[in-house]
Order: sequence, then C-alpha cells, then structure tokens
Amino acid sequence: MSDANQKFKAWWLLSPTLLLYSLTFLLPVLLLVVMSFAKFENSVTEFGFYLGNYRKVFGDGITLLIFWRTVKLSVYITVACVVLGFPVAMVMRRAGPRGRLWLLFFIVSPLLTSIIVRNVAWVLILGRSGIINDTLREWGLIASPLPLMYNSFGVVLAVVHVYMSFMVLPIYGALQAINPSTEEAAASLGASPLRVFWFVTLPQSLPGLAAGCTLVFILSMGVYLTPVIMGGNFVVTLPMLITDVVRNQYNWPTASAMSLMLLVAIGAMVLVSSVVQKFGGRH
Amino acid sequence: MENEYSSRLGYRLLLIFTCLVITFLIAPLAILVVQSFTAESYLSFPPPSYGMRWYADVLNSADWQDSAGLSLLLACIVTPCSLAIGTMAAFALNRGPSRGRRAMYALMISPMVLPHIVLGLGIFRIALELNISDTMIAFVPAHLTITIPFVIITVGASLQSFDISMEEAAQSLGASKFGSVWYVTLPIIRPGLIAGAIFSFIISFDEFIITFFLATYSRTLPLEMFSTLMFQVKPSIAAVSSLTLAVTAGLTAILMFRGQVAGESGVIK
Repeated sequence: MSDANQKFKAWWLLSPTLLLYSLTFLLPVLLLVVMSFAKFENSVTEFGFYLGNYRKVFGDGITLLIFWRTVKLSVYITVACVVLGFPVAMVMRRAGPRGRLWLLFFIVSPLLTSIIVRNVAWVLILGRSGIINDTLREWGLIASPLPLMYNSFGVVLAVVHVYMSFMVLPIYGALQAINPSTEEAAASLGASPLRVFWFVTLPQSLPGLAAGCTLVFILSMGVYLTPVIMGGNFVVTLPMLITDVVRNQYNWPTASAMSLMLLVAIGAMVLVSSVVQKFGGRH
Repeated sequence: MENEYSSRLGYRLLLIFTCLVITFLIAPLAILVVQSFTAESYLSFPPPSYGMRWYADVLNSADWQDSAGLSLLLACIVTPCSLAIGTMAAFALNRGPSRGRRAMYALMISPMVLPHIVLGLGIFRIALELNISDTMIAFVPAHLTITIPFVIITVGASLQSFDISMEEAAQSLGASKFGSVWYVTLPIIRPGLIAGAIFSFIISFDEFIITFFLATYSRTLPLEMFSTLMFQVKPSIAAVSSLTLAVTAGLTAILMFRGQVAGESGVIK
C-alpha cells in the first residue's frame, strides 16, 4: 500500500510539464477546434457552431487543390527518402563497428544543423545564379538558367535533405532486429540476393519502414520554411496558406479549419501506419 | 557461388550509392562554408579570392548582433528550464505506477508529432489573448513545449538502464531521498542529461515558425536570416550560416564525444 502511494506520489513530478502543456499545447489546440466553428464577418470573430469555414475550405476549390498538392509533395518526399535511405540503412547494418559509427555520424549530424542553414546552402547551389547554373553557363552549355528551384523539384530536394535522417534511423533499427540466419537460410536454398531481399529482408523491416514513412510524411506535411525559401510563391503549400490567412487576412476561423484539415490528414497517416506496423509485427 | 558473386557485387553497388547519398547530405554544407570566405561582393564557387571580409561585416553589424544575442539569451533560458522540467517528468514516468504509464508517456511526447505550424498558430492566439505575444514570457514557454519531449526521451532512456538499487543503497546508508538522487542518480545518468540539454539548446536556437508567429518586432537569428534571405542572397548570409553551423556542429561533437565517454565510464562494473 505504501509502495503504491509512493508510486503515485512520483506523478506529482509531472505537474510542471502538465501545467505548461495545458497552456501551450492542449488549450491552443482546443481553441483552434472551437475557432474553426466560429463565424468570421467584417473582421469580427463570432463564436458559435457554424460550418461555413469548412464549407469554404472544401468548396472554394483552391484550398483543396493546395491541400492535395501538399499531400502529393509529401508523398514524393517520403518516396525519395525511402529510395535514398533504405540502401544507406542496409550498408549501415553490414558495415563494421567503425564504419557504422562514421555512417551514423554522417546521418545524424545534418539533423542537428539548422534547417535554414541547409536551405541557404541549396539556394547557393540551385539558384538562378547558383553554382550549377553559373558553371553550365560558363561552359556555354546553356543560354539561360535552368529552373532548378522555385518549383516542386527544388522543394522536394531540400526537404529530402532535411528529413532523410528520420527515414534512415527507424529502417536501420528494424534491419538490426532481423535475424541474419533467416536470410542465410533463404540464400542457401538457392534464392538470389534480390529474391532474399524482396521476400525475407523487406517484409521483416516493414515496421521500421512504416515508422520512417510516417515520420517523414508528417514532418513534410507541416513544413513551412523550406517551401517558402525553395519554392517562393510558385509552390504554395497548406502551411503557407494557413500562415497567409492568419498573418495577412486575420481570418482565424478559416485558418483554424485548415489546420484541422492538416491534423486530420496526419491522424489518418498515423492510423494507417499503426495498422501496417501491427500487420508487419505479426511476421 | 554465382549467388556469392552477385551478392558481393550488390553490396559494392550499395556502398557506392551510400557514398553518393552521404555526399548529397554533406556537400552543400561544405560548399556553403567555402563560399562564406569569399573576398568578393557576390557569391560564386569556387570564390576568385578568399578573405574574412564578410565575417567582419557580420560581426560588426548591429542587426546580426542583436538577433544572435536574442537567440542565445533565449536558448540559455530555455535549456536549463527544459532540462529541469523534462527530467522531473522523466523521473515521474520511470518511477510512477505502471498503469497508465504508456498513455502518459504518449501525451508527454505528443508535441513532437503535432506540426509546429499548428502549434505556433494556437500558441500565438493564446499569447494574443494574454497580450504577451512579442515578449520572452511567450517565447520561453513556446520553445519549452517543443524541447521538453526530447529531454523526456533522452533522460528517460538513461533512467531505464539505471539500477535503482544504487539509489536505495545510498538511502539505507543515511542519504535523504533528494540527496541520493542528486549525488548518485544524476551523475550516473549524465549522458542522458547532456544529450537532453544539447537537443534543447539546438532546437531553441534553430526554432523558426512558432517564433515567426509570435514576434512582431523581436528578431531571433533564424528570423533575421529568413528576412535577409528573402530580400537578397548576399555573402553575409553564407557567413552567418557558417557561424551558426559552427555552433551547432560544436555542440553535436560534444554530444557524440561526451555521450560516448560518459556512457563508457558511467557503466559500473
């Protein structure tokens, strides 16, 4: 009894965090939900239960278009991260302890460098007078600069650079958990390396793959800075639209409805991923 | 035999691919640093001549000084608060009743999953209602909300491998509850504490979108970099970026080095 009491006492240590979260996390999100049902007329927000914001968000054509563009970009980014990250995770698994530490260093260190710094680096490389365009022009290969940024390509490239680590680490974790004897058994029974990978390694790494995809997709859906810097006004994403609606139009109810749209999309992704992870875990 | 050969060939291809990916991750930053040492008034690669001109320019500029000062001040306030509050929460989750622990843990780290744009929007609204939007009173709690989950994760991981019987031994020898934690537990879980502190510092120092909503006149370093970048790409932006990179890379090196060293000596044989 006293032991149980002691244990419940330990939860008092959560109170500072809970107090902070209630003010900076739970209350704000609740407020956004309430505000998404408020009425906005002549720059006045009137609370109530009003579905006009949602009707507008789904009905004006543009918001939905931007939403799907954001989803599409996030899918591109996630796929690119898988294609680039999976082989790296596989090499990390097979490398010796030293090589693995170095690879880990290279994978983790970009994670800790400022996002804006990494975006600046890409502007200097891909910009109209960036390294690539300057060099190609000097060599006389092109007359006018190639459109390498201020389009989806530039945005996807820079976001992949920022979030790659979040894909490699969970995949590596899942690969580490695989018993190599399962693969050796398949190989000794005559399966080619590709078949071993496809039928033995890949299914077993599914939980890590799902976790990485979820993480990268969620982060990509919410990213603001990189599309603004790399896309300019040519690639408008949902976070950019939300920011514009609040900062320039002061239309909180519409922005709240858009934020909830973003949250629901993310929630759906988390749900799908947890189903996949459960299914993958059964193997 | 044929499989053996193709497997080795496959691994070699993977290795080459991995080198390319690593180059993709590292090269842009290396190029940025090289460009920051240009002596010209424009950016080009490789620079025709080298010099410290833009570093001098940046270090003498009042705008950059002010924004860097604000960012450092903010990170220096956020880091100890984040470490203290987050460590308390990690202890609670580790020592508390096992029922409901998973749900509570999920709640505690959930600000990580929420897009910062949504979090920033909500916090901005609350700050507007309280009339504190452009002040430290808003910046610090906002940053704490996104740094504390990292402390809970790093310190929580250290606590999980900590043997609680050592704390109990100290108590049976007459140490108070607080004393046993302060003198026994905290020194042993130091790697987790250092990692949590460094994550907090870097995340706060790098935070953009939430501060972007909250700030009207205040400029943190990321905000100043952003507005400069939107206006014009000058060599000064490369110099500031390199300086920021040096700060975060230094802290990362400490994280990796100290974490490893402390992790080895922290194990009691």
